[in-house]
Amino acid sequence: MKRSPGTAIARTLVLAMLTLFIVVPFYWVVAGSFRAPAEIIAREVIWFPQSVTFEHYENLLRQSPFPTYLLNSLIVAAGTMLATVVVSTLAAYGFYRLRFPGREWLFRATLLAYAFPGVLLIVPMYGMMSGLGLIDNLLSLIIINVTFAAPFAVWMMKVFFQTIPKELEEVAELDGATRLQVLTRILLPLAAPGVAAIGIFAFVMSWTEYMFASILILSDGLRTLPVGLAGIIGQYQIDWGLLLAGATLVTVPVVVLFTLIGRYFIAGMTAGAVK
Amino acid sequence: MTMTRTSVLAGAATALALTALSAPALAQTELLIWHMEQPPHRVERIQSLLDAFNAANPDITVRQEPQNWGEIYAKAPAAVAAGNAPDLLFAIPDFTPLLKQLGAVQPVDAIVAMLDEAHGFYPAALEPYAYDGHVWAVPLYNMAVSLWYHRPMLEAAGIAPPTTWDALRAAAEALTGDGVYGIGLPANKHLYTDQTTYALMVNNGASALYDADGSIRFDTPETQGALAFYDELAAFSPPDIASWTWGEAEACFASRACAMILQFTVITTFETQTDGTPDQLGVAAIPAAEGVADPGTIAYANGVMLLTDDPAKHDAAAEFLSFLMTPENYGRFLNMEPGLFLPVTETGAEAESFWSDPVAVAYRSQIETMLENSRNGRLFGFTDGNIFPSIAAISAQNLISQATQRVVLGDEDPADAAAEVQEMMEDAIE
Amino acid sequence: MSVTSSPEPGTAADRATRRPRAWPAGLDSRRRREAALGYLFIAPLVLWLVATILWPLAASVHLSLLDVRLIGTQGSFIGLDNYIRVLTDDRFWAAIGRSGIWILGNAVLQTVLAFSAALVLAQLFPGVRVARTLVILSWIVPTVVAVIFWRFLLNASGGGLINPLLIELGLTDDPVGFFSSGGSAMTSLIVINSWRWFPFITVILLAALLRVPSDLYEAAAIDGATAVQRFRYITVPMLQPTLFVVGLIGTLLSFNVFDIIWLITAGGPSSDTTTAPVMIYETAFKRFRLSIAAAMSVVTALILVAFALVFIRFAQPKEMG
Repeated sequence: MKRSPGTAIARTLVLAMLTLFIVVPFYWVVAGSFRAPAEIIAREVIWFPQSVTFEHYENLLRQSPFPTYLLNSLIVAAGTMLATVVVSTLAAYGFYRLRFPGREWLFRATLLAYAFPGVLLIVPMYGMMSGLGLIDNLLSLIIINVTFAAPFAVWMMKVFFQTIPKELEEVAELDGATRLQVLTRILLPLAAPGVAAIGIFAFVMSWTEYMFASILILSDGLRTLPVGLAGIIGQYQIDWGLLLAGATLVTVPVVVLFTLIGRYFIAGMTAGAVK
Repeated sequence: MTMTRTSVLAGAATALALTALSAPALAQTELLIWHMEQPPHRVERIQSLLDAFNAANPDITVRQEPQNWGEIYAKAPAAVAAGNAPDLLFAIPDFTPLLKQLGAVQPVDAIVAMLDEAHGFYPAALEPYAYDGHVWAVPLYNMAVSLWYHRPMLEAAGIAPPTTWDALRAAAEALTGDGVYGIGLPANKHLYTDQTTYALMVNNGASALYDADGSIRFDTPETQGALAFYDELAAFSPPDIASWTWGEAEACFASRACAMILQFTVITTFETQTDGTPDQLGVAAIPAAEGVADPGTIAYANGVMLLTDDPAKHDAAAEFLSFLMTPENYGRFLNMEPGLFLPVTETGAEAESFWSDPVAVAYRSQIETMLENSRNGRLFGFTDGNIFPSIAAISAQNLISQATQRVVLGDEDPADAAAEVQEMMEDAIE
Repeated sequence: MSVTSSPEPGTAADRATRRPRAWPAGLDSRRRREAALGYLFIAPLVLWLVATILWPLAASVHLSLLDVRLIGTQGSFIGLDNYIRVLTDDRFWAAIGRSGIWILGNAVLQTVLAFSAALVLAQLFPGVRVARTLVILSWIVPTVVAVIFWRFLLNASGGGLINPLLIELGLTDDPVGFFSSGGSAMTSLIVINSWRWFPFITVILLAALLRVPSDLYEAAAIDGATAVQRFRYITVPMLQPTLFVVGLIGTLLSFNVFDIIWLITAGGPSSDTTTAPVMIYETAFKRFRLSIAAAMSVVTALILVAFALVFIRFAQPKEMG
């Protein structure tokens, strides 16, 4: 693309805005988690912590079963990821490559899953999970999270499939491959970045879910991170240090995940891109 | 609990064999407790008490599952309906009627009578759970709002701790300036604002929310007066009080941005987050309007409800609660949050285990004042024996705080705000 | 301009119908087999959604015809009374109105933020990869954490960043109470929610932008098109299918945002930030009028479905060719 001074200035402005809006809040919270209590509530801006302490992290890890919460969150997120990928890939293939009556209509209907206020799903959902014996069971959270991750993942997956030349499949079919074989042997390897992208999408949806996790899980040993963190927000006091340490620790695993495989998410989302 | 330690151990070792040989006395009874004391150190303290009890009572196993006040109003009824409710559930007075409507709450008259005989409940703690001919929860601990102030700031301004509204207003005004706010009062749609507003209402003669026939009496000159006074004081509060919960008030106080606040306690925060010494922390009763006959404050007697009708569990619960209320254990229980939870029994108020906590030693005079204030505690909807289950909808919606918001943030006339909220309350109980 | 090669939804489905394969004999049975296979492939998804959305939805419709107050209690059938109450309740329509402001505010802010970020990140410059990863940060943060972030940042009485900063920059003498009036509370909530969601939209737009063939831009540049013209006549049309889905789902998702509002203002001051989902939650779990809340959510869902149909009818990308 042609470069002009105008674009350079605009780019600098936008990057500055992003830094201010995203990087600075994160910096402030993370830095706060290492400050002494009195410095956290200081009334002037102290950019660099004058006092570095790990006491908030020590308190957090000593007082709460943080590793348990982390493990639960990971189990739910991994389960959600797996189920979403399977269900959405199959459906996306069905919607994109196969012709059947009501196809377009059904595809749009799945997107309408987002039209119903989640807050009132709580009551019937509790009844249903209770009937299935899934109250206080991580499986119930996986089931719910897939519901809210899958429809959008289907759409994303459909876009990836469309970037793959159809001729490849036709050759395979002429060679006598079944549809499922075509899907698993030809399409999926080519759409691997797309699979990674919907997997990460499902992971994050599950990682951040709070409402159902707070209602459907009863025992402390099965809580996920967001609910566990909400629990350490004391009712009558705010221990900002503890909260900021907790906020940081909840964020870190996903940040690590993203620095490791985040580029696959971006790359996956942009698969088939020209540049 | 007459077993000695050795017999306990022997009993535990042979429990299985004996059970098989038809020894029903040693059949295991499991008790599941839900409470909302979710901060980790409180959970830890409760667990240590449970461990002690379980070790001493091999035939009973008590487990805890901490919950969150935020969700419990939806979660507990759903759990009751689905049949996976706990055996014991902690409560505040306006939570009990809700569960009682579901038919889930068992009367605990016998347990309360037994404990009352042994330890002497404060009547003010029992009153909000005693109606419809029974007692519906065993009071466990009390919390009452007091006026907290930085003693050096008042001394520097030459102000005595206020005891009247005029003095409070004058003090708030004099202390405001130079980045300091005279008094921090919340104006959030939140329980905290309900509490501070009601604390002023009580001290203007507006403590009753219901008439004897169950009709609402919120829109009164006394309520309007309290709202107007609240508005005057809020002028000396920080600009972000619209999003305050208890924590922000404490942070404001601890950072010395607020000279005074109304709060259950600030002791722990003051101790850990400031460099102040105990003698610099002042606490007093909420000032009263001139000529009010019966000043007081707002207090929450927290209790525990019994949700199971299994006689064995009932007995086990009685056993557990008498263990908990025994002076040597009770103080340890209360001190899961030192300087916040106050005893509800005579023996508890004198318990060595309560006063020996390092925080209680350092802040003994403050805690004594809190305890004294708690004896004049009242709770909206639970006064004068006029108790109606519809209070749950009024408190859950934080309707009182909405009147405060209208006056403080929306600049509405107190009379209009009181009338509007009276209407909302009538709608809520209809 | 030839855009038939656009690898986007909608067009792809059309392409499939417009370019039938050279079917051999036995076409009908093959079609039938393909249809059966199609249903088989989408069956897991459809069954999943039926069980977790449609069934609870039916339960809610049933509930809305009863007079249940508290969860767990029984109710009796009262027909459409709850609907009449809801439809004639000014407070409900006020909440729907606030939801309108909410989605509009979020849509405008997130579109501006996401578009400007995506356009910049689509360029190649040193550090662009890091920037592409960093921009996603606020999306991966759970709501509870986002609330902690912003309660801390906006604090005005001890701690906080925004207020001390505004004062040091001389923009204000006294700290600002961001939630003390209805207007500023709503604005602050919209900013916080946008902070949380715009990175995701940025990535989706970025992906779509990078799929636009660069020879289109080159050709346009040779023809002397300005940057604005290129954006208007190449970028926007090429992005339209993506914008369509993001616009539809984004609107539905942001309409139903509940937790961030509830945890920060609980719908206050007074009821100035009480959007429809907040009102539904409050009616069900704070006013203890479960059946009325169910009626409210059915009405709300109908409004959303109507919106979606209108949106699909008018905003769906036209067939290109």
